[in-house]
Amino acid sequence: MPLDTSTYALAHLRLDGRRWNELRRLHAQISTQAAADGSSYLEQGNTKVLCTVSGPQEQKGGRGGARDQGNEAKVDVEMNIAAFSGMDRKRRARSDKRVQEMQVTIASAFQSTLFTHLFPHSTITVTLHILSQDGSLLAACLNAATLALIDAGIPMSDYISSVTVASAPSSDQSLDEMDPLLDLNGLEEQELPFMTVGTCGRGPGGGEEKVMVLVMETKVQMARLEAMLSVGIDGCKQVRGILDGVVRSHGKRVLESKVS
Amino acid sequence: MPSEVTPSTNNHDFILTALRQNLRLDSRPLDTYRPIDLTFSSDPDTYGQTDVRIGKTRVLCNISCEVGAPYPDRKFDGVFTISCELGPMGSPAWEVGRQDQTEIILSRILEKTVRRSGALDTESLCIVAGQKCFHLRADIHILDHDGNVLDAACFALMAALLHFRRPDVSIEGEEVTVYSVREREPVKLTMTHHPFCITTSFYPSRQGSDDDLISVLDTTLQEEQCRTGSLTISLNRHGEVCNIAKYGGVGIEGLSVLTCVNASLEKAKMFDRLLKERLAEDEKARQAKIGAMGLELSAENERVMERPVG
Repeated sequence: MPLDTSTYALAHLRLDGRRWNELRRLHAQISTQAAADGSSYLEQGNTKVLCTVSGPQEQKGGRGGARDQGNEAKVDVEMNIAAFSGMDRKRRARSDKRVQEMQVTIASAFQSTLFTHLFPHSTITVTLHILSQDGSLLAACLNAATLALIDAGIPMSDYISSVTVASAPSSDQSLDEMDPLLDLNGLEEQELPFMTVGTCGRGPGGGEEKVMVLVMETKVQMARLEAMLSVGIDGCKQVRGILDGVVRSHGKRVLESKVS
Repeated sequence: MPSEVTPSTNNHDFILTALRQNLRLDSRPLDTYRPIDLTFSSDPDTYGQTDVRIGKTRVLCNISCEVGAPYPDRKFDGVFTISCELGPMGSPAWEVGRQDQTEIILSRILEKTVRRSGALDTESLCIVAGQKCFHLRADIHILDHDGNVLDAACFALMAALLHFRRPDVSIEGEEVTVYSVREREPVKLTMTHHPFCITTSFYPSRQGSDDDLISVLDTTLQEEQCRTGSLTISLNRHGEVCNIAKYGGVGIEGLSVLTCVNASLEKAKMFDRLLKERLAEDEKARQAKIGAMGLELSAENERVMERPVG
């Protein structure tokens, strides 16, 4: 199904009426599941993700001892894509390579951001339930996991915030250039070359954001990468601001309820 | 469950300190590959079998094909699957049947580099739309693991695909005839472009600080175990990037991603040149073996293409 990009060229508006550098509505909640150590619910447009964290806890199972990494906690990620989440009802097997790749990505991104050395001989399990998919799945999962890990009170160097960026034919047709587009929805993701950027801020005064996760699986000219990357890093900054707002307002509410 | 032997703290520190002084255990510069060796099967009837060695890393790739039915939702496409085998022969840490992280990443990156980027034109594998097509299967075996398995596997796969010939077919009405190698000269696969994987590894240039990173190409196993992060880029010699994969690890600056891409382009060109050279050599050797018969069997004729009028 070809994407109707003609309107974009005319009015500089995308399919859902956004400009090139606008995010979709990002709504998030923290502490949604009472039973989990940490949990979050995140909506990025129509992509909806529920995340729970359990741990740090002792490794389960008999063979855990041999795999014990010793002086660092291990991050485990389980992903559950609901059958009803996509356009057509399809049950994704757990052994799907695409899902496994995302699990590995999320696990290793947090392995290096969390202060795992504080919890030797233990595991932190992050469980992600995808309730609805409409593009930017990996990005939404990373954002949801960040919030849930903060809710669980696991120390980390900074938020990992993530967005997708695409490269689309320019609105100005006289120029033979490409416009970067921020935060794709499902339709745009099928049509345009895109990548997922995840950055980690460096705290106040810590300097530039660092790219933690970078995943691209579509063919794109080298020259276009620079624009995509810089718009992506900028988008991550915006997402970080929103996530930070969610955490702060939750903290405020908790404090107020303690006082009264 | 066996696990990899990790380098001792002394070894780890030694490798890091050496890298900070631009030194490596095998006295290579940081951005140079170990000697790359590519051999094809010596049997003139066997196509698409490659053996790649980068230093002590050794990867075998074999391509096979059979006639089967296409997927019902992709009637005009042939089927192409890549399967990676990481057995105990390569490394004691790998077991048959147990999926580990290296395997997932390896097969996903190869899939993205070669299949999703459309390097192989699967439509050319179609025989009768919706009924018959070629099932192409690439089996990759890691025989020896001494670091940088990804680049080696991707190179082996590309070499095998370019070397492989599928049997010729002819269609008369509903009847499909598949000719053996002896009956008719087999046909090359249609490749649209030739992507290669290049992995860059990162090391901290100062203790406890992630600000400046040393980037190193083609790491050995020991170096790989000491790295704090890596970035895999797949691209062809025209600078079309098919895949970027950075799964976690240490954070890098946006600018250094772009420098990595530029450096990788040089290496992709190097891979491309090497592969072309070796393919031409192999072609020559095969022709010599077949001798005079080769000229008669060849389907190409030495006709000068005239420009169409108008």
